[in-house]
Amino acid sequence: MEMLYHQYKRRVFGMAHRIVGGSDAEEVAQEVFVRVFRGLASFRGDSALSTWIYRLTVNAALSHLARRGRRHEVGDEGLTELPAPATAERDSALAARIETAMTQLPAGYRAILVLHDVEGLSHEECAAILECRIGTCKSQLHKARARMRELLGPNLGQRSES
Amino acid sequence: MTMCTKIRPQLTSYLDGELADDHGSVVRGHLRECADCRQCARDEAALRDGLRTLAPLDPPAALWAGVQSQLAAAEITDARKPRWRRQAARWVRWARSARWAPTMPQLASASLVAATAIAVFTWRGHHGEDATVGHVAVAQPLPPPVPAGIAVTAAPAPQPTPPSADDVTADLIAEPARTTASYARAIEELMKLAEEDRARWSDGDKAAFDARLTGLRDAIASAGAPRAVQRAQRTLIRYLQSAVVRDDVLLASGGAR
Repeated sequence: MEMLYHQYKRRVFGMAHRIVGGSDAEEVAQEVFVRVFRGLASFRGDSALSTWIYRLTVNAALSHLARRGRRHEVGDEGLTELPAPATAERDSALAARIETAMTQLPAGYRAILVLHDVEGLSHEECAAILECRIGTCKSQLHKARARMRELLGPNLGQRSES
Repeated sequence: MTMCTKIRPQLTSYLDGELADDHGSVVRGHLRECADCRQCARDEAALRDGLRTLAPLDPPAALWAGVQSQLAAAEITDARKPRWRRQAARWVRWARSARWAPTMPQLASASLVAATAIAVFTWRGHHGEDATVGHVAVAQPLPPPVPAGIAVTAAPAPQPTPPSADDVTADLIAEPARTTASYARAIEELMKLAEEDRARWSDGDKAAFDARLTGLRDAIASAGAPRAVQRAQRTLIRYLQSAVVRDDVLLASGGAR
């Protein structure tokens, strides 16, 4: 049991952290592991164990947000709160900007970005976890990235041409 | 511009290498001649790469202790559930894990059997009570028949019958209170352990512990709904466990590492 925990703790906590935010991530991760350990006996093996655990994580995180009634819908005012573009150490600064911008996204967009782009799962896996069609998954990812680009501002790719 | 609006929605798939060759070459061709879309593609690629290289997040050290504590609490709750609920949960688990998918007629038959069984048990329960009452009533003189058209004004109001031993409603209602009480007992026991360890703590640690404890107790007191109270209790339990199990550094930092 402990081995399973150590195998998945970073991914579960990381996903929860990036979907619900730092203050509630521990509570969500705990809930996920309790569900995993209590439900392991009834795990049917229809999907990979990892897919099942990630599905539990995403569902727990989204339910948590729904329970709290917290919304991170972006208004125009959200854009001004983002930190200024990097002046030094571009990568870490970009990472910080990305993390901040992600908190401004709707929860569903955060979930698909975390699964596909952060965790590197395929569209098939994402669709299995989110229980939607692959096409829906792709279009959600496109919208999520477009929203992120809006939030992060132009010239993210540095080499601007005009 | 029309071409740009057609191409941009495809950039995500193009950059992820998911466009078929002919579509990919159309996008590539457009990117060669359109600086705006090229910048857009660079931004999206930078975003995608930035997302992929985000640092993994380490969970706090107390997470595992919290999971174990919640598992223990859940097992205690399970053990206190009435037998029929444990049995029902087992059936639900079995039904979920079953490889067959029940068809509608099967479900309908199962529902009918269950409804019949419930009806029979309910009828037998009532019948038993009625028989007893009837038995006693035989010894009582029957009230005189009321002539038609005369209203009975002093009829005694029906008294609510006390819940029978088979009534599970009261049990269900009492469940959150039992969980809260169980957490309260756990807190009490952990407090005793913490008091035993307290002698070894520095004054600073004691002050930090007391301040945190007051805050957590206030959170329990101010939480309204049972779930909120239980959540606040669990936070306190986790903190007390950390205080008892962990070292002084954790204690002094207020439970956060």
